[in-house]
Amino acid sequence: MNSRSRVLLSLIFFFVTTLASAQGGGQLRFCLRSDPKTFDPVLVDDDPSERVRYITGGFLMRLNRFTQQLEPELATSWKVSKDGRTISFRLREGLRFSDGTPFSADDVAFTMQRLMDLSLHSPTGDAFRSGDGKVQTQVLAPNKISVTFPAPIASLDQHFDQVAIMSAKSPKKEMAVLGPFYVSDYKAGSYLQLNRNPNYWKHDENGRQLPYLDSVRLDIQGNRDTEMLRFLRGEIDLVDNVDAEYYSRVQTEQAGSGHDSGVTLDPEQVWFNQTPKSPIPAYKRAWFRSTNFRVAIWQALNRDDIARIVYRGRAQSAVGMLSPADKFWFNTRLTTHSYDRQGALKLLAQDGFRLQNGQLFDRDGHLVEFSLVTGAGNKTRERIATMMQQDLSQIGIKLNVVPLDFPSLIERITRTYDYEACLLGLTNMSLGPDAQMNVWLSSADNHQWNPRQKQPETAWEAEIDRLMRTQASSLDPKKRKEAFDRVQQIAWEQAPFIYLVNRHALSAISPKLHNAQPAVLQPYVYWNIDRISKSAEVASK
Amino acid sequence: MRPTLVLLANHATRILLITLVGGFLALALARLAPGFGVDEREFDARLSEDTRAAIRQSHDSERNIFHFYFTWLSGLAHGELGVSPSLNQPVRLLLAERLPVTMKLLAWGLLVGWGMGFGLAVPLAFVRGCAYELGANAFATLFLCIPAAVLALFFLLTRSPSALVVGLVIFPKVFRYARTLLRQTAMLPHVLTARAKGLSGIRIFLWHYLSPAAPQWLALLAVSLSLALSAAVPVEVVCDLPGIGQLAWKAAMARDMYLLVCLTGIVTLATVMTKSAVELLGEFCRVRI
Repeated sequence: MNSRSRVLLSLIFFFVTTLASAQGGGQLRFCLRSDPKTFDPVLVDDDPSERVRYITGGFLMRLNRFTQQLEPELATSWKVSKDGRTISFRLREGLRFSDGTPFSADDVAFTMQRLMDLSLHSPTGDAFRSGDGKVQTQVLAPNKISVTFPAPIASLDQHFDQVAIMSAKSPKKEMAVLGPFYVSDYKAGSYLQLNRNPNYWKHDENGRQLPYLDSVRLDIQGNRDTEMLRFLRGEIDLVDNVDAEYYSRVQTEQAGSGHDSGVTLDPEQVWFNQTPKSPIPAYKRAWFRSTNFRVAIWQALNRDDIARIVYRGRAQSAVGMLSPADKFWFNTRLTTHSYDRQGALKLLAQDGFRLQNGQLFDRDGHLVEFSLVTGAGNKTRERIATMMQQDLSQIGIKLNVVPLDFPSLIERITRTYDYEACLLGLTNMSLGPDAQMNVWLSSADNHQWNPRQKQPETAWEAEIDRLMRTQASSLDPKKRKEAFDRVQQIAWEQAPFIYLVNRHALSAISPKLHNAQPAVLQPYVYWNIDRISKSAEVASK
Repeated sequence: MRPTLVLLANHATRILLITLVGGFLALALARLAPGFGVDEREFDARLSEDTRAAIRQSHDSERNIFHFYFTWLSGLAHGELGVSPSLNQPVRLLLAERLPVTMKLLAWGLLVGWGMGFGLAVPLAFVRGCAYELGANAFATLFLCIPAAVLALFFLLTRSPSALVVGLVIFPKVFRYARTLLRQTAMLPHVLTARAKGLSGIRIFLWHYLSPAAPQWLALLAVSLSLALSAAVPVEVVCDLPGIGQLAWKAAMARDMYLLVCLTGIVTLATVMTKSAVELLGEFCRVRI
């Protein structure tokens, strides 16, 4: 065979294989806000890496973002032991990683061992650290494995929603994946190209191999204005998380492209610094430690107005630590604190505060004035702070807003405690109380209003500690729910956090995309990326 | 020969010292800035105590800036620039990927800035007090007043090439300096003599306007480069260009010592080296003339 024939044959082979692997679903383009820090699924601790892991990883089971139910993926079934320490999986057979390496129980064992390796400090692994001792994996057969933890773990199976299985044998290590796409090209600061995994195991109802899309291009785009501009120009196909301001613009300029999936899990919240070692005047700390003062502030803030004006109606007044989006864990007996200026003044009067010439004074004659730190450059929070200023001025309180860049803000609230009140939004990545332990236990670092307490300083914090430990050690969902309902109730009454609003899950989706089903859990739009297509024909086949 | 060597050695020593001091000052500023050593991951409620402690300890080596700088310089001697903690990538790799983007931006910016500035200034060497002068001055003043970030935003919205922004930042300075320099040269005796002798306009311009003022032109080039580097930061940030300007911004926001010391070193080195090169060329031109 001469060289010309060889070249010709190679070209034919290239085109045939390319055509065979292409699905005709097109290329999906959207943006990541910054570069992913890692492609190693065990070490993921930032949002972009988490998004890449979501798209490329193969998981034993997944939480359906729409139904909020666990669904089998690489594991066809699983069983949690009665003592809550062991989980056994039956795995799908005949699967291969993106590079062709066969998948077996050894890969699950390898992933679990890496995940629990203390020297790696895996954030995903932290969810499984229930007690001292080693995690034991037992490969019972190539398609059967059991994992035993040193102590019981509540909602053990749900934690596997974050565990992407790695190959124990592939020379490509973490770049060999079981998800619908694999990373084929990455230019730091510019883009990430994900190609369709030819060995992806899932098929649609007609037996057609998924994913429908041929590739995904993730452009690294830190500037949200630019991202929206590019969407409106048709250069990208979706924006997963849209601000309310942009949402209105999308609705105006491209009717039908904006999607409001309803209220999210994420609250915007304010808290007062109650830390004894903080360098704030003692009389101010006394205000902040008063339940009446905190509840009065909660009542004095018109949260419906915040939702209406700042979020243009795309948010709702928050009830408490959980939003109604968490269908199982939300305490439905709670209702939002009503906006009641007179009620707020009555509560303040009980603590000796008095309104004089439009200004509020405490019983020792100190003018009630405090500062509120928040993240600089976050337009939404700056607007919320302005509205809070106006609302509090109605009851004679002067609020000074101090926007800080994020590292300075975190330094103040976690190290120096040099602040009076803070406005921040929390992102809840998972349902229920599991990720809330570090917030509600009085000894925890993230117990923001008064962290790292040696002993609970108040009776209600001691009660929350007890209830949180009870729910974490119980394997009965009913008992857990009862305990956590009570925690929500106490948090609502004591108001260590003043919950303002829960924003809606807003996204912008090009009309060219098919099968997108926006949900309220992240990722909002592409949680079912293997079924999304840019071709109507492919999607409807 | 000997004086030339001494001159070169002096310049090399100066470049080295200024770069070292510049790098250290950048470190000191980052170390003293509020929020140093704080990692936003500490705020993640999902992390365990151990992981959080490990995150805090990861910044321990950066707390003593003298020790950090010495260790970094030792690494540099072996070709190691360290790993950026905020981006979790080797600094060398980050620079290799991003430097070409900035170099291209600067090259186009300098070309556009000089083309416009010099192009507008040349006719003013020969004519005065006309509408053209008024228009050219107003045009240059307009761009002198607009911040680079605003220009970048405008160019982003109109989908125009971002390199033009750098050019428009440089152009007013080049225009004003070139106009003054050309006018001053036009009044020099040798130019008047050349004109009186009936030499062609192009010849007078090339040999009697430009050549004698070569040191000044070179100095202007050095200033333009510094200006272009300063403009590259807002332009790359606003237009999302993955160059070292954007990297510098991210490094500053994350208090990333490894990146900051490298980037300051590069910018200082580029500026000081250009300045030295200009001085040496100026010296060479002076001797030749």
